[in-house]
Amino acid sequence: MALDNGLRVVISPERSAPVVTVGVYYNIGFRLEPRGKSGFAHLFEHMMFQGSANAPKMAHIKLINSSGGVLNGSTHYDVTNYYQAVPSNALERVLWLEADRMRALKVDDENLRNQRDVVKEEVRVNVLNQPYGGFPWLDLPPVAYRNWPNAHNFYGDFADLDAATLADVQAFFRMYYAPNNAVLLILGDVEPAQGFALAKRYFADIPAGAAPRFADSSEQEQTEERRGTVEEKFGTLPAVAIGFHAPRRRTADWHAMALLDQALHGGRVGRIYRELVLEKQIAVDAEGGIHYPMGDIFDYNGPTQMVTRLMHKPEYTAGQTIAAFDAVIAQVQEKGTGAEELEQVKVKFRSDYFSALEGGHGGYMPKYGLMHLLACFTLFDNEPQLVNTILEGFLEVKPEDLRGAAQKYLLPARRAIVVRQPVRRNRQEAA
Amino acid sequence: MATLSSKSPQSPPAGPASFSNAAPPLDQERPVVWPARTRTKLGNGLEVVLVEHHAIPKFTGELFFRSGNAAVAERATGLATITAAVTRTGTARRASRQIEEDLRRMGADLSTSAGADTSAIAFAGLAEFADGLLGLVSELAREASFPEAEFERERRQLLEEVRIERTTPGFLAGERLRKVLFGAHPYAQVSPTEAQVAAYRLEELAETYRAAYRPGNALLILLGDFRAAEMLARIESIFGNWRGEKPEARSTVAPPALHGRRVYLVDLPGAVQAQILVGCHSITRKHPDWIRLGLANAIYGGAFNSRLVMNIREAKGYTYSPRSSVSALREHGYFSIHGAVRNDVVAATLAEMFYELDRMRALPVPEDELADARNYLSGVFSLGLATQDGLLGQLATVYLNELPEDYLEKYRERVRALTADEVLAAARTYFDSANAQVVVVGERKAVESQAALWGEMEVFDAQGNRAS
Repeated sequence: MALDNGLRVVISPERSAPVVTVGVYYNIGFRLEPRGKSGFAHLFEHMMFQGSANAPKMAHIKLINSSGGVLNGSTHYDVTNYYQAVPSNALERVLWLEADRMRALKVDDENLRNQRDVVKEEVRVNVLNQPYGGFPWLDLPPVAYRNWPNAHNFYGDFADLDAATLADVQAFFRMYYAPNNAVLLILGDVEPAQGFALAKRYFADIPAGAAPRFADSSEQEQTEERRGTVEEKFGTLPAVAIGFHAPRRRTADWHAMALLDQALHGGRVGRIYRELVLEKQIAVDAEGGIHYPMGDIFDYNGPTQMVTRLMHKPEYTAGQTIAAFDAVIAQVQEKGTGAEELEQVKVKFRSDYFSALEGGHGGYMPKYGLMHLLACFTLFDNEPQLVNTILEGFLEVKPEDLRGAAQKYLLPARRAIVVRQPVRRNRQEAA
Repeated sequence: MATLSSKSPQSPPAGPASFSNAAPPLDQERPVVWPARTRTKLGNGLEVVLVEHHAIPKFTGELFFRSGNAAVAERATGLATITAAVTRTGTARRASRQIEEDLRRMGADLSTSAGADTSAIAFAGLAEFADGLLGLVSELAREASFPEAEFERERRQLLEEVRIERTTPGFLAGERLRKVLFGAHPYAQVSPTEAQVAAYRLEELAETYRAAYRPGNALLILLGDFRAAEMLARIESIFGNWRGEKPEARSTVAPPALHGRRVYLVDLPGAVQAQILVGCHSITRKHPDWIRLGLANAIYGGAFNSRLVMNIREAKGYTYSPRSSVSALREHGYFSIHGAVRNDVVAATLAEMFYELDRMRALPVPEDELADARNYLSGVFSLGLATQDGLLGQLATVYLNELPEDYLEKYRERVRALTADEVLAAARTYFDSANAQVVVVGERKAVESQAALWGEMEVFDAQGNRAS
């Protein structure tokens, strides 16, 4: 359902426990933040907790916590979300709070200075002061992409964060935080008619905004391999990240690629972990996936990659590690996976999908995964019902499709490689 | 499968169209009904807890053993952890690769791990493959074969992990605090050194496994899309003929009594931020003051809307994610406060942490703040019954700690009955600010003078050696 102001409303009732999860998703992420203002979308997400017309700083957080609930927000490539899980008797209160900040953000310079400081410590604790911080989610894009929306530092250069002004905050709010650029989701202990009526009561009189302008995030076709090196300040092991451009969402290639990804990266049985960690024992860890590590195959709406992250033993070079990886890729390009492996992969894919719906965000945020999928299918596809049918396309993939996807997408000319090189001498080598 | 409704309502209830400028009150609460549990003990001593949960066609479970790293600490640090890692790599009937492929064939996930007090096999899979997955879990618990080559591979991976741990500020802070609080008690040992990893012997792993992985020492919790009576029959047929007594409990030395604040600085060259961790002894889950302390903690620094977060994040902008917590191990517990702050506010952050701690000890919490915190704690508790993971965690807490059978059902009313006096008493007893131990991990020259203001200071390097 959509309100007259363009706000879409999606309700998924399931009344076994008296708790309700409410999310508001805006169709703007760090990919499309204003050029030259790196990190702004995320800084702005923090500002959404700093006060609105009728709920001053801390009122939102205090009202949710004191209702027995938890809340958070997060910035992704193409969406930013705000969500809370509460006992269902607080539903109306949550809707009032979300409507108030969609209607009128009310923040001042002091709030902005405060959250700029908080965000800098967030960047330090997650990136600058951690071994392998930001690897590879901040390291790969500048090497893999040529277009600023895809290639810039999403967490933000400190100089850009310092340059952000209150006027920027209000302009961003007007452009991207209007009801016509959002979806409201209510999941759990709610009766649908009641939920829609409440949505109308609290959100219907928020005026629609002008159609938001989005930067062009398309990329030129890549024709040769791209490489980069980043210093690892703390960690003791060399690491390699390899990213191949992935197919567009909801195409036949995308279905095939998702299962190929599961065959390659599906835990310890995945071909990459099995070959590089368990059998050849060149690497000590291997992980990866489509849109890894920031998301999954469903929650992006623009260029992305299938990424592999390898931590390898110092006695092997990056070149040897990449050669071993290439041998795994060559094998699926030549022989595919065979029918039995594909069957296993499909069972696991289906099982993972159910788990993603049920949880996805720890034990205290019920239905986060379902909410996230519904939001993406609504904002990107205008088709929330896809959540019930999307599996079918994956289960129809044939063995030859997997091999075809490997041959078409897993090419050196379509990939980027970043090596993270420790600056400290490895203690074992010194011994 | 997800049920989804996005149609317009047939007959929307009437309501005012205009937006009120005051937050709506809470509606009438719907009762929280904890799911029915089937709880039994098999003839071989295996405790079983089953809960039906039909939201998705999956089930999830965990087989716990009540012995972890503390039980083998005299032998080697972390021995139960590497034992758990190698347990999944082979059985009398299946090689590693077979195990991993069988898991995928059943759409299953499985992990093996050990903490201080328990070892565990956790698993989740499609309901249609329940028999196969339980069969594999049983095999891992009873017939692990400890292949030499798998052990050596795991050992090398662990060695690299241990090296990287020692470059991670959060790990270094937590390890130092545990050493300070627990001294000669096994809880002081958080992770092995490189030399300890290099000295592990395969036979020690096999012995650790034989001593701990026994039905008389085990608790199996399963929840998901099954009928409890049928599931119980399957469990009986799969696990019923397993034999093994509960191992004898060993006695441990008492943690040291700590008098006065002291400061422990861990020097991490190149650090661009300081990791602060302050802690003191507290209590276990079974202690009658547990819930009182939980409420005091929520008010102090356990919730987003807590005094600590409001102060050092929202008012002062020193840090991103400060929090306090009460950590309960089986024999002892501890209270701790953490924050990763910019280098120039280390002393200022400690001043605020102690100010808020002393305020909790000096003054009763105002009634409205207390009511908010009671609501928070009881509400969040009920959120935990709405996901399979949350429910499994809650059940594990109850049964591993041998809490009363009605603990979950009674928790909310007990929280709601707490008074300001009880919170004050808990704070005065357990927020032991005069004897709190202060750990700071950072670049020594950037933080040393500020840290030293808070007590007599010792300096360590990241390897745990005393620096001059």
